[in-house]
Amino acid sequence: MTWQLRRAKPADVDAIMLLETSIFENDAWSTEMMARDVADPGCYYLVAFPPDSPEHIVAYAGLQAAPRSPESDIQTIAVAEEARGHGLGRVLMQSLITEARKRGAREAFLEVRADNPGAQHLYRSLGFEDLGVRRGYYQPDNVDAIVMRLPIPPAEMHFTDAAAPAAAPATAPGVPPAAASSDPAASSDPAASAPARPINRSNPLVLGIETSCDETGIGIVRGTTLLSNTIASSMDEHARYGGVVPEVAARAHLEEMVPAIQAAVAEAGIRLDEIDAIAVTSGPGLAGALMVGVGAAKSLAVALDVPIYAVNHLVGHVGADLLRGDGVTTDAPLEYPTIALLVSGGHTSLLLVRDLVSDVELLGETIDDAAGEAFDKVARLLGLPYPGGPQIDRVAATGDPTAIRFPRGLSHQKDVAKHRYDFSFSGLKTSVARWVEQKRDAGETVPLNDVAASFREAVVDVLLTKAVAACTDLGVPRLLLGGGVIANARLRQVAIERTDAAGIALRIPPLSLCTDNGAMIAALGAQLIMAGHEPSTLDFGADSTLPVSLIQA
Amino acid sequence: MLLAIDTSAGTSVAVVDLARGVLAERGVADTMRHAEVVGRLIQECLTEAQVPVAALSGVVGGMGPGPFTGLRVGIAAARVFALGIDRPLVPVVSHDAIAYGHYRTGHTGPLLVVTDARRREVYWSAYSGADAQHLPARIGPPALAKPAELLEADFVHAALPRLDAATISAGDLGMVAELTFAAGLPFASDEALYLRSPDVTVSTTGPKRVS
Repeated sequence: MTWQLRRAKPADVDAIMLLETSIFENDAWSTEMMARDVADPGCYYLVAFPPDSPEHIVAYAGLQAAPRSPESDIQTIAVAEEARGHGLGRVLMQSLITEARKRGAREAFLEVRADNPGAQHLYRSLGFEDLGVRRGYYQPDNVDAIVMRLPIPPAEMHFTDAAAPAAAPATAPGVPPAAASSDPAASSDPAASAPARPINRSNPLVLGIETSCDETGIGIVRGTTLLSNTIASSMDEHARYGGVVPEVAARAHLEEMVPAIQAAVAEAGIRLDEIDAIAVTSGPGLAGALMVGVGAAKSLAVALDVPIYAVNHLVGHVGADLLRGDGVTTDAPLEYPTIALLVSGGHTSLLLVRDLVSDVELLGETIDDAAGEAFDKVARLLGLPYPGGPQIDRVAATGDPTAIRFPRGLSHQKDVAKHRYDFSFSGLKTSVARWVEQKRDAGETVPLNDVAASFREAVVDVLLTKAVAACTDLGVPRLLLGGGVIANARLRQVAIERTDAAGIALRIPPLSLCTDNGAMIAALGAQLIMAGHEPSTLDFGADSTLPVSLIQA
Repeated sequence: MLLAIDTSAGTSVAVVDLARGVLAERGVADTMRHAEVVGRLIQECLTEAQVPVAALSGVVGGMGPGPFTGLRVGIAAARVFALGIDRPLVPVVSHDAIAYGHYRTGHTGPLLVVTDARRREVYWSAYSGADAQHLPARIGPPALAKPAELLEADFVHAALPRLDAATISAGDLGMVAELTFAAGLPFASDEALYLRSPDVTVSTTGPKRVS
């Protein structure tokens, strides 16, 4: 099972209360108490949801930790029946403890029912110690509470005893450092003499790191089996600016990197030292954001002494289709060659994939804005919030897609010769803006639903027209979709209609694997390993314009 | 033994030990290639020092201040390496390494450390002096300023001898961590010292007209 975590917002309180009242039958909090805590900046509430349905809350947990207070309290944690037994409670607890440490807390306290040994076991395994008992704390059931405490030492106090710097043995003159060490492990020469262990090429356990835009994605796969797809998004932080702010995204990657790796490892049920290889997005994407992932990935590879595969983000989107696991319904293998249409806030590309690990050709791409960017910009000029895709979809539901004939970029005969498979959405956005301005200047009401539906239709039409043309022209009866804009219901609907009509087999990976994620990067890394490709050296950089033909850097 | 990583200026990596000092140190002064070089430098230092990662008791991260794009690479590398070997991250203010290096090579008394913050600004930290092991005592925060502000008479540290530094030594950074731990003193907080907010502006006027 795969879930994602996000910070709870006031709109989640109703869903949280549904769980709260069903799980804590006799001692549930009131809606007012819950709403107050969720909105309190001194608190930190997380909700968990299936990747494909962000409003379906299956678990929540809350921490109270005032900034710079040495004490913090785990306020509550609840996991719905349907989501139990997969370690979600542990991931939530670890996330709260990480936040408590981040806020400077040195201790975390909690109360747990004396008649709930399962919960007590979880807390003890996380390092909580029994502090005492509060008689009859839970009323009206008259059940005792066990009070537990977790020391959260500042990181620097964790020095292991044997190797603590203060206890380092003095070296006798003339004795080589390694031989003088009292630690037997220190006497073996790590990098020079120990041969790198052979790569597991049959079913490698790969951890993938993706930081090309605003999602910190950590994925863990074993061969083609998905074990974790952990995503920490900074999307909420960009909302007030109406688009992704590169520096805000990069700062978020740094803060989310370690918690995201921890959560992914916990969800996958593995240990870091079992990993066979690291895969990382080296491009294309936002340079500053990519660098965080590249730096982290190299460091982890050296720390674990495993090979590293630097991979192409766009090819990763295609690789997502190979993963099998929860939520993946097809078992049909990806057939080659295939056309791939990748549509997101940063990319709009049409690829010819002859072989995922050795032969990917760029047929065309946007020459200005990405399609997702156009959704954001049009949403903004219609006064709708960021991100624009879901907002346009919502408003367009009641609109007439044929009400306004907005232009289809690069579709005129004169453009097709040079830009047959290229896209352009900048002119479309300007056209929508002009249309709206004219209505407003004339004092007329702007029919938002018709504008949204007609705009969306123009985007979807041109995307599918060109994708289907590529399939037909090149005699490739297979189309694969990828990228966050695939979440758009109208795009999927038109894709199904047009490919059906043209006799093209359509593949759409689960939405949680369509948006940017680390699992697709791990999947591509695993494919490269299984195909016998050698690892990247440690010398690659972040390449914001990495061409799609470079599958591995 | 500690692995130390700093990317607040160029990229510097070292392996240090309290008793034996700096066992290996590698650096690249280029301020644009942190992500490219950091992995190789870590690997080379471990090899040269002949230290298996299991023998490390922590990973020192230079927390800045430093221009953000590069600074983040080293902090990410340090945090993730610490996670990978299940040892703590030891955060150290990068300026403290500069001050330590200056005291170690003979300076005594107060000191103002200044580094380039780009955009015609500088970062500064003030020190009163150092102990017998040359561990510096910081009395003024790492802060951001216009160069002219440091020359004004009412700048509280205006009279301090000034050291402008262009590089940070991870060897010195690591030794600051070792000495700080040995002296039982607290470490810096585990947060990147950007000292600048992200460059963003919230539009209050709405979208621009196109016609």
